[in-house]
Amino acid sequence: MAQPASSGKSPATWGTVTVLLTVAIIGTLWVPIYARSLPKLGPFPFFYWFQLIWVPITAALCWISYRLVRNKPVPDTGSGDGGSGRK
Amino acid sequence: MTHLNAVTFTILVVAFLLVTLVGFASARWRPAEDPMQLNEWGLGGRGFGTFVSWFLLGGDVYTAYTFIAVPALVYAAGAAGFYALSYTIMVFPIVFIFAPRLWSVARARGYVSPGEFVRGRYGSQGLGLAVAATGILATMPYIALQLVGIESVLTVMGIGSTSGNALIRDLPLIIAFAVVAAYTYLAGLRAPALIAFVKDILIYVTVIVAILYIPGRVGGWGHIFGAAAAHLKAVNPATGKPAGSIVVMPAGEWAYATLALGSALALFVYPHTVTGVFSAKRRDVIRRNAALLPAYTLILGLIALFGYMARAVPAVNAGVKAGGGNPQLSVPLLFERMFPSWFAGIGYSAIVIGALVPAAVMSIAAANLFTRTIYKELLKPDATPAQETRVAQVASLLMKVGALGFALELNRTFSINLQLLGGIWILQTFPAIVISLYTRWFHRFALIVGWASGMAYGSIQAYRTSGGGQAHFGASAAPVFGHSTYIAISALVLNLAVAALLTVVFRALGVQDGYDATKAADYTADFAPMPASAAWKRAPRHAAGSPREGAAGRGGPTRAGDAHPQVPEPGTPPAPRPATEPGRAPVSRAAAQPGGAPVSRPATETGASPASRPAAEPGTVPASRPAVPPDTPGVPRPGQPAGRPPAPRAAPPRETPPEDAPPPGRPARPPVPPPGVPPEGRPIPPRGKPLLREPEPTQPLPQEPRPPEPTPPRTGQRS
Repeated sequence: MAQPASSGKSPATWGTVTVLLTVAIIGTLWVPIYARSLPKLGPFPFFYWFQLIWVPITAALCWISYRLVRNKPVPDTGSGDGGSGRK
Repeated sequence: MTHLNAVTFTILVVAFLLVTLVGFASARWRPAEDPMQLNEWGLGGRGFGTFVSWFLLGGDVYTAYTFIAVPALVYAAGAAGFYALSYTIMVFPIVFIFAPRLWSVARARGYVSPGEFVRGRYGSQGLGLAVAATGILATMPYIALQLVGIESVLTVMGIGSTSGNALIRDLPLIIAFAVVAAYTYLAGLRAPALIAFVKDILIYVTVIVAILYIPGRVGGWGHIFGAAAAHLKAVNPATGKPAGSIVVMPAGEWAYATLALGSALALFVYPHTVTGVFSAKRRDVIRRNAALLPAYTLILGLIALFGYMARAVPAVNAGVKAGGGNPQLSVPLLFERMFPSWFAGIGYSAIVIGALVPAAVMSIAAANLFTRTIYKELLKPDATPAQETRVAQVASLLMKVGALGFALELNRTFSINLQLLGGIWILQTFPAIVISLYTRWFHRFALIVGWASGMAYGSIQAYRTSGGGQAHFGASAAPVFGHSTYIAISALVLNLAVAALLTVVFRALGVQDGYDATKAADYTADFAPMPASAAWKRAPRHAAGSPREGAAGRGGPTRAGDAHPQVPEPGTPPAPRPATEPGRAPVSRAAAQPGGAPVSRPATETGASPASRPAAEPGTVPASRPAVPPDTPGVPRPGQPAGRPPAPRAAPPRETPPEDAPPPGRPARPPVPPPGVPPEGRPIPPRGKPLLREPEPTQPLPQEPRPPEPTPPRTGQRS
């Protein structure tokens, strides 16, 4: 993971996370985006398949955000085991 | 639908017995060293990792009522019912943003319920009480609705419903609830956590089979959507309008969006969700679950489609009509008509057990609220942990009895109305709980008045809304400025506006603000999962200073007695929370390091966008800061080298914004509360896992090994 020092993540990281999560929320909050029946996916109107597909997309965005902001579990001072851990 | 199918019935009974067994056995799962801690009974020892949390939160948030009511709504009204999918999609980014901070502060301070957090944050009993009362009030009908979910299954199975005798008719429900109440009483949150495994497996199996099997039997998805569209287009002679639409109409978009957003925000502040979040072992668990829980959302989306499937089966439509036009029967009927009886039994078990898990968690959550915010706050401030736990156990029983009374005595419509109100009410605690995680800008009294106005407006507005054949409580959306809007959202906007306005007024008038028992570092504290080796390596170094660290390292999920690891400071018995306790010092020290990266940490950690940071900054400041005498480092910290220069306690700028000054009118308060007595004058017994350290810069309590010069800890670590 390209994380800057695991303490404060860089503003860029937080910016990215903010964008990712905003996209995740807006995706279904902005109803006019998907309140339509075409194009259909098989028999499914757009309204349904868009929302169903948005579920894994949201999950992915949350996962990426999690990877970006998570802290290195091993918080060590100095000693050699500093970088190891649950990674 | 009146004859009882023996196979279906047997499977349901077996599943119920299995779950009962699991429920009682759970009392011995991850046994606590001291089970008479509210933390243990009420939060499962705060020891659930990602896996258990996933099941627990999933089992908790996606209730049986959801599984019955969402397809019922889709069955009756079409696309409008899909807001539930939209809301359970957007709830996870929201959880991702807010929940870690709430978890951290609760963990750092030993809070078990949101009411305590608010009380601690604002030093306001009234506000804590308002939050607790709202939570309990909103939870009770929610539990009752779980019973309604079970009832619809029992009705379709023909159990009880044919008897004229009210007691016999309700007996299955009473038995089911008595059993749940018994194991919840015994095992606390461990019971639903373990049962959730059974529940979720049943739900997943049922839904996946149904989604693969039923469409083929009824003529494919094309036919399903066709039948639904035809039904929804048909004009209802009573109202002169079509029943609904297959795609949300432009006029309904605003209502759809606000319903989804309002429900998502409300879900996050419901006590049972908060309880689930608090029971997590680590901060990371929550974020990881925000990414993993959408698996349930997918299932919910598929379940919503059951409504359309049911519409495509004529026998189900006939059954719903025969059942008094109650669309909530549609899913149980669908199972009955489409599945062989043994699999229908599995489907029913999924719904029934699906009702028990949330009912148990909700009653525990309400009991936690009651115990800490009402019992301990008002009735018996010196309650011991064991007394607290006993009170919580009894309170959970009472919640169940109350909910049972609701479900049996009052009619179903009333429960559903109350649930609608509950959603509106609970969202009014959002400013006090969630916004407080970022800023303490709001004045405590302003928040109370805002809360009250949101509650009043929401209740009145809901009462005045007609729809669905009801004169009152007919719908959850009411027009505001010409847009049909979810009432909870308009009430929240009013709530916030009132609170903001009054905050300005109260500040101008110099109305005394409360004491903030939390500190900025609490909101980012983590119970870092460090490898045992690291823990042990470090332990000796400051063993005396913080045995908690050692405890944290091997920190079993089962560690009882949060209080134990607390290090009594010489002469300061059960460390009063305020900032003087030794284990806390490193945190503030790091934060204060001039030029050190950590200074910006709290802001970056918030999850808020950088843009919103400035606004959030001032508030993150604990009002308690001034209470920290600059010389606390002088307090001998065992294990600290004598020559260590006192930490630069002079708070960095961000810690002393103007409103941080001791509120006018408070000067009488001693800067450091006397031992054991927090500023409120209420003895705070040691509770909660105290030991949290900040995840980031100071992770390992960089005491001794640290070079004296203020190196940013990070670099120190890497070297």
